[in-house]
Amino acid sequence: MKPLLFIAGAEWRYWQRSRLALGAAVLLAVLLVATTVLTALRMQGEAADRAHHQAEAEAAFLSQPARHPHRMVHYGHYVFRTPAPLARFDPGLDPATGQSIFLEGHRQNTAMFAASGDSADLGALSWLSPAMVYQLFAPLLLILLGHGLIVREREAATLATLLAQGAAGRTLLAGKALALLSVVGLLLVPMTASAALGVLAGDSSLAAVALLLAYGLYLSIWGALALLVSAMLRRRSAVLAALVTLWIALTVVLPSVATSLAAIAAPMPGKLETDLSMLADLRKLGDGHNANDPAFAQLRADLLARHGVQRVEDLPVNLRGVVAQFGERKLTETLNRYASAQMAAEARQAAALAVHGWLTPLLAVAEASRAVAGTDLAHHHRFLREAEALRYAFVQGLNKVHAEKLAYSDDVRRSGDAAAEERTRVDASNWQLLERFAFAPDPAGQRIARALPQWLMLGAWCFLLVGAGLWVGNRLKP
Amino acid sequence: MRVGSPSASLGFALRREAGLLARDRSVWAWWLVVLCLSVLSVSAGLFEVHHQKAKLARLVEADRADRVAVLKAQKDWGGAAYYSFHLTYDAPSDFAFAALGRRDDTAWMHRVRMLALEGQIHERDAGNPVLALIGRFDFAFFAAFIVPLVLIVLLHDLRAAERLAGRHDLLVATAGQAAPLWRLRAGLRASGVFIAAALPMLVAAGLSGTPLRTVVVACGWLLSYVLFWTAACAALAAWQQAGEVILATLLGLWILLGIVVPAAGRMAIDRVVPIPSGADILLTQREAVNDAWDLPKAATMQPFIERHPQWAAHATVERPFEWKWYYAFQQVGDQKAQALSEAYTAGRKQRDRLAAWLAFIAPPVLLERSLQALARTDVQASLAYEARVRAFHAGLREFYYPKLFRDEPFAPAALEAMPRFKAGADRD
Repeated sequence: MKPLLFIAGAEWRYWQRSRLALGAAVLLAVLLVATTVLTALRMQGEAADRAHHQAEAEAAFLSQPARHPHRMVHYGHYVFRTPAPLARFDPGLDPATGQSIFLEGHRQNTAMFAASGDSADLGALSWLSPAMVYQLFAPLLLILLGHGLIVREREAATLATLLAQGAAGRTLLAGKALALLSVVGLLLVPMTASAALGVLAGDSSLAAVALLLAYGLYLSIWGALALLVSAMLRRRSAVLAALVTLWIALTVVLPSVATSLAAIAAPMPGKLETDLSMLADLRKLGDGHNANDPAFAQLRADLLARHGVQRVEDLPVNLRGVVAQFGERKLTETLNRYASAQMAAEARQAAALAVHGWLTPLLAVAEASRAVAGTDLAHHHRFLREAEALRYAFVQGLNKVHAEKLAYSDDVRRSGDAAAEERTRVDASNWQLLERFAFAPDPAGQRIARALPQWLMLGAWCFLLVGAGLWVGNRLKP
Repeated sequence: MRVGSPSASLGFALRREAGLLARDRSVWAWWLVVLCLSVLSVSAGLFEVHHQKAKLARLVEADRADRVAVLKAQKDWGGAAYYSFHLTYDAPSDFAFAALGRRDDTAWMHRVRMLALEGQIHERDAGNPVLALIGRFDFAFFAAFIVPLVLIVLLHDLRAAERLAGRHDLLVATAGQAAPLWRLRAGLRASGVFIAAALPMLVAAGLSGTPLRTVVVACGWLLSYVLFWTAACAALAAWQQAGEVILATLLGLWILLGIVVPAAGRMAIDRVVPIPSGADILLTQREAVNDAWDLPKAATMQPFIERHPQWAAHATVERPFEWKWYYAFQQVGDQKAQALSEAYTAGRKQRDRLAAWLAFIAPPVLLERSLQALARTDVQASLAYEARVRAFHAGLREFYYPKLFRDEPFAPAALEAMPRFKAGADRD
């Protein structure tokens, strides 16, 4: 252990004398601290805003006066997706997805108003977050610090001396690796602060630790790449050029190319297109507003038979309300079928992209980071599903009130008879059936498990690079 | 030939440099990389545009068939307006393959009907957010972000490498003057990059029938951009420093101009120009539309008539439900949300204007935005499309209002005269 510490210590002293190393480290530190603070503030503001909007929407719904329950079905409700606590480190899909959905009867609306749609347009890379700084720029610092590790000794002809003095190639490499690992550890400090804030805001510390682990692995991969190339090439400038080329390929070019490839490999029909065939399916179901629609003849006959009466007026329930319930159930089955197909298509496309994580660790760590932070596609889809569950619950609750608390004879006459209309208005206390909506990320264990392919990718990269390091260490030549 | 005449020495230097370059395999390798990436970016763009066009063609046909089928079953004007949807769209331009721009994350297609427009126009049929987050590999991204990186790698150690190889002084001594030598060397390498980057784009433009003017302007932008980075690299390469310091500084410059300035600018602009929350627009519109059911009919017709005095004589509503009242409160819903909605549009415009100014200190953003403007895939194009949808929707109302208010007898043949959405009506 002692020689390792000695070698690592020597490297640290070298870095302290290098203005380049110091300058780059200071710049990266400034960038990390700035994005950490700004993103945390932004996401905290967003969380407060959306919670406020959610409370307002709920208050508006509950304060509606007495009226016909079906009017409330159309009045509808809003839900807002509150960002996960760890979104202050990795906002993930938050800016690219709509943050609110209008819920109403007979329809599933899309999530509207994504921040990316109304923000100033300043190019492809301008959504800077701490996560992105770690993914893109931290590797550059490791390259700058690590590219000279071995090749410097080789150029200065000290490598021969070191090896001749009996230092094994492996020990030398391990000592240098230890120095870079300590840099990785230091780099993770601002992230720890960000993650701690997330834990304070209510996320589990397990998720925070997993997040640190993912980035620890990612940065170690880059450190190992720097060390290996430094040990293999003869000239320092060649090492640097090779590493920078690798960085360009793995972090700038490949992720974007993979995105285009995924779009080609797993094409996705647009929502409008599926909506058209969905509309055709829906028309076959009959209009739930019209109790005389032939589509509901069977329902009416069954209902009359079950209660042993001849006329709908003699039923103990309001036929219109029963039809509304039945119609909404049938319609929602169809809507959900199309919505699941759309989500499955999105998930397929996302998986087609994620598989490129075997080629570039950036895609692996980015996906793992979003999954663990609770800002990935799976969470967005769960938000959509929970919003739909809430929609269905309050619409059917109102339809139940429609069926049970209103007389059919009043309901059919309310358009022409003011007194009947007055009797079809139900008390505002009925609106209390609305459930409170709060979106929270999945349990930490589940989030970590969802990133299993990414853990395997990062693990495989580490494993391969350590293997390569051992191999090169045995054959290290001056 | 007199030895030492400027033109002769330039010609000699050029020939010598070209000869040296022709044997430098690493430079050729980089040119090949640029060529391959450019081909990749352009083909991905062409594929995406083809995909969008095919989708659009399918939808235009399906939309028409759906409307015809729906209208057949209608018995009155109100029902015809209620049940018939209309496809609106912003077809990809003939240069869209080069810069897909906002088409990834903002809606470029809607199906609207004569209900309150504010409830419909913010629907997003946008693509996969995971893909939108990273962004596609289109020519604009390639040119703005990857070309400068290649230039940095190629040009940062022009002098430092020769110094290291011990040829520096010999080269300078035999070239006559030092400065033109390095400029020439950098210029030759950069020209290769420019040609390799531009060629695939030119071929794709030929295939897509892009107007010559667009192609020339795009090449002009790319050339100036390559010149900017070449000058920056050459200026820093003249610095008496080790190659690694120069490289790190140039990468720092790339990060600063391509990412840090834009990210800070975005945050600042979004803060300086606040826009109403989209949720508020929808809430206002929804309250107005829903309240109308409970209010006396006059409360709806009054604000409606203020905006449409020509229907004052026909604005009495006698029955509990009349279509003209129904559409009047839809219109009044839009009217109530109008101030917010206009502020939302004006805010986005203002943010984009400021972003355009800021782009002048962030060349990668300037290039990306310029190419998107040429391809009509920028924020301006998206706002213009939104304006076209609003105009079309207004046309629909103008078409139905006379029939509804004058209580004209239903004549399906008259529906033939219904306004049709024209793709790119306001384009030059």
